[in-house]
Amino acid sequence: MSSPRELERDFATAILGGPDEAIAGQIQGDGLEPAARIAVYRHHVFVTLTEALEATYPVIVRLVDRRFFAYAADGYIRRNPPVGPCLFEYGESFADFLAAFPPCRDLAYLADVARLEWAMNRALHAEDAVTLDPRWLSAVPPDELARLKLRLHPSLSLLESPWPIDQIWRANQPGADLEATVSLDAGGVRLEICRLEDGVVFRPMTPGTYAFERAFATGLDLQRAMEAARSADPSFDLTHALRELLDRELIVGASASAPSIDNGGPRCKPTPRPC
Amino acid sequence: MIACDERSAFTPAHVGVGLRAPHIAEVMATRPAIAFLEVHTENYLGGGPAVAGLERLRHDYAVSLHGVGLSLGGADPLDRRHLMRVKGLVERIQPALVSEHLAWSGGGGAYLNHLLPLPYDESRLEATSRRIEQVQETLGRAILVENPARYLRFRHSPISEPEFLSALARRTGCGILLDVNNVYVSSYNFDEDPHAYLDAMPTGAIGEIHVAGHATNDADGRTILIDDHGACVAEPVWDLYGRALARFGPVPTLVEWDTNLPELTVLLDEAARAERFLRGAQGRERRVVAA
Repeated sequence: MSSPRELERDFATAILGGPDEAIAGQIQGDGLEPAARIAVYRHHVFVTLTEALEATYPVIVRLVDRRFFAYAADGYIRRNPPVGPCLFEYGESFADFLAAFPPCRDLAYLADVARLEWAMNRALHAEDAVTLDPRWLSAVPPDELARLKLRLHPSLSLLESPWPIDQIWRANQPGADLEATVSLDAGGVRLEICRLEDGVVFRPMTPGTYAFERAFATGLDLQRAMEAARSADPSFDLTHALRELLDRELIVGASASAPSIDNGGPRCKPTPRPC
Repeated sequence: MIACDERSAFTPAHVGVGLRAPHIAEVMATRPAIAFLEVHTENYLGGGPAVAGLERLRHDYAVSLHGVGLSLGGADPLDRRHLMRVKGLVERIQPALVSEHLAWSGGGGAYLNHLLPLPYDESRLEATSRRIEQVQETLGRAILVENPARYLRFRHSPISEPEFLSALARRTGCGILLDVNNVYVSSYNFDEDPHAYLDAMPTGAIGEIHVAGHATNDADGRTILIDDHGACVAEPVWDLYGRALARFGPVPTLVEWDTNLPELTVLLDEAARAERFLRGAQGRERRVVAA
């Protein structure tokens, strides 16, 4: 008799396609080989996890065909089983897996399309957050604005690809024109993916706006974000970029570099500083 | 120990349906006459439209949060982060019922997305009781624990499943979610008598009953029943449900359907059938009281 932990390890090993002798010895046959009983469980695990990946990556399913997707998913699940029970959080590394999956070698854009689908899935389920009241920003003294760090909505992510992955995604939606073609020579794209009131959206960005939002994601302040944006695009318009973030309710927090006016934790509603 | 007030969350007992993503829009739009909606807890632990929609439905329906990921029967300590997320959802939704399974679903950092079987022995009984107590203390309420569908038994498993569940209820104050389809499936798979299973269950601890469809598969020439929640409730399971109501009295009942999801009306028809069984059981109970 093995310990509970050993039994679970042996069971999990057999489920994920490893040797099943250790766990088979613990199982009562009841008229059937233990291996056949384990197979019932294994079947369920692979079917439901494949379905979870299909739900997150519908465009990849369409691009490679459902049967090939199931083949790739099988290899992925064996090496990368979920680490937690929320299946909407499963599959983040699927794009990296596809990038290294030899049968997909000729589909160079595939991994980036998967990254777009993951970003959309992430946006859909991201934590809710309270939007920053624009009045808070106007209450910040001008000499402190430069040191302000903005926290963007948890659903927002940025993605850069050498392929026209936005066009590929659109051409593979239900109801899309089947005759339409996407030229891979169309070039790359920088995308912002986020959840707005109507649902998850993405949009192409200019190099400047992309660098601007990326700077906040990496913890830089407004001064440095503006410098990054202007070096990517000299015509970058700071007021316009800030206005857009505020109008779309994508700023959920702000703090100055100096700790004295930090407005607190990530989910706190910022309160205007007393003047 | 926590008092199990939640057992009487629905008086009189009524029938609910499992709410799955493809039906949500229709339920929102038509608000069918159904007593409660049961959802899988793990699908609502993020933000965004899923949990906001559930919160809206909560105004019109009692909600039952049915978890699959706490691994109550596992060897690892409880996943605190997961438990705290469940607690957050319980506080937000204020469900009528909270339930989980007598199973484990992963260990050592891998989650296998299945309700996996454990041997039933004294050390596991003790460990599972402790985990249920921890969950109940964290959530501040009693939970229901469901009997899983089983496709294998362990050589060393000296306690029967009904005894194991009865002992969990006795030791922790948890209720039992009796899935009669799982009783039927497991009993069939091990050539056991499902009636004897029901007779071995304590009469005062059943807080909810599940009914669902199952599939009949061939495994190396032997028929094995699979709890796939993918069809109408089978006739022998309705019979078993009637027998359970006769033994346990009218208990809130849920019709589960997960794969090959039909039109919502099919699910509601199944619920109506369960409701007729329940009315019959309530009639019997009234006659007993009158006598």
